[in-house]
Amino acid sequence: MRHLTTAVALAAFSLTVPLTAQAQDEGPIQQVIEARHGFFTMLSRNMGVLAGMAKGDIAYDEAAATTAAANIEALTHYDLPGLFIEGSDSQTASADDSAAKPEIWQNMDDFRTKFQGLAEAASGASEAVKGGQESVGPVVGKLGQACKACHDDYREKS
Amino acid sequence: MPRTERPVRKIRLWDPLLRGFHWLLAVSVIAAWCLGRFGPDKMTLHFWCGYVVTGLLIFRLIWGFVGPAPARFSSFLRGPGAVADYARGMFLREPSHWPGHNPLGALSVIAMLAALAAQVSSGLISDPDDYINVGPLASYVSAATRSKAVGWHETGANVILVLVLLHLAVILFYRFWKREDLVGPMLTGEKAIRDRDGH
Ligand code: HEC
Ligand code: HEM
Repeated sequence: MRHLTTAVALAAFSLTVPLTAQAQDEGPIQQVIEARHGFFTMLSRNMGVLAGMAKGDIAYDEAAATTAAANIEALTHYDLPGLFIEGSDSQTASADDSAAKPEIWQNMDDFRTKFQGLAEAASGASEAVKGGQESVGPVVGKLGQACKACHDDYREKS
Repeated sequence: MPRTERPVRKIRLWDPLLRGFHWLLAVSVIAAWCLGRFGPDKMTLHFWCGYVVTGLLIFRLIWGFVGPAPARFSSFLRGPGAVADYARGMFLREPSHWPGHNPLGALSVIAMLAALAAQVSSGLISDPDDYINVGPLASYVSAATRSKAVGWHETGANVILVLVLLHLAVILFYRFWKREDLVGPMLTGEKAIRDRDGH
């Protein structure tokens, strides 16, 4: 009987915990913002490898370059715009950490096009970086322009 | 002594290097500004314009100490009293015939030079997270600083726009309200001036 009471209490407790936590800071808005930041951090880490090799700061390594480029390609298949849900812009009080300009929601089609631009720049990148250090620079150039094109319009400068 | 008692005479006011500096600065700042806001995503040209501005600012700093008298900071930086005196006569509908930067205009000169120095500094350490337009000194500062620098650089660009528009507006004000041409002297070096106390 004691066990049963404990189990019921625990079950009741476990139901309330996620609810209260969600109401505080793990709500869907906080989640998508964190997911976005994680997404961009992954993009950045792989871009860092390629840019480092292009500049000669990191020794060229075909396997590492191919992996980094393939990671970026794979990330562009993720539905990033789906993480930009209503209320997760930089102006909304609950979205402190967001640097996403409200303009995204006024121009969602263009925002998607900008992300598509990155996907196009990334497509074939894992092949293009093969063959030597000099093949990395042009790939970084193409990808970087797609990053900038979107940041210019849709990312708040800190 | 009342100003009107001194005769107006033409002198060579601005030396050739200062004039060259001025027009090169105007061209490279406008180019840097437009390339920054409207130029291609790969900002190589913007960076080069910024380096030219940096070089020009260093020249101006040196020239402000060793150049001919009208170019020297010590000759045109004046106290609040002198600024207020000048400002009082500012709206008189007559040429100032001032031999150099007047006390109020000097403030605008310093504001523009300081804003440009701040602008090239923030540009040199900016990292806008695109891996292609990273300022050459970004790796020498913290990650938070190189990211904030991008914001400072955008604010700085707006400050520079305001200062440059003010600069142009005041030149038009002198030309059409005070009937004094300030552009000609910056092209030819020659200006009609009236000597005054302390000069
Ligand atoms: C479709 C638009 C878009 C594209 C393309 C894009 N970004 Fe972003 N990026 C954003 C937005 C919007 C934010 C702000 C997100 C936020 O704060 O919620 C951002 C933020 C970032 C951040 C900061 C993340 C953080 O933790 O605050 C990094 C780093 C970043 N992007 C890197 C990149 C790189 C590298 C690329 C190219 C490979 C890229 N981005 C391409 C829109 C884009
Ligand atoms: C007179 C000097 C300069 C002027 C007037 C100037 C002006 C500008 C302007 C107007 C922008 C666009 C800002 C925006 O609207 O977001 C910009 C962006 C930028 N500038 Fe400069 N700049 C100058 C010097 C420099 C220098 C010396 C560097 C570095 C070497 C530099 C690096 C950058 C970078 C990296 C960006 C892109 C920021 C981004 O992507 O958001 N700038 N600049």
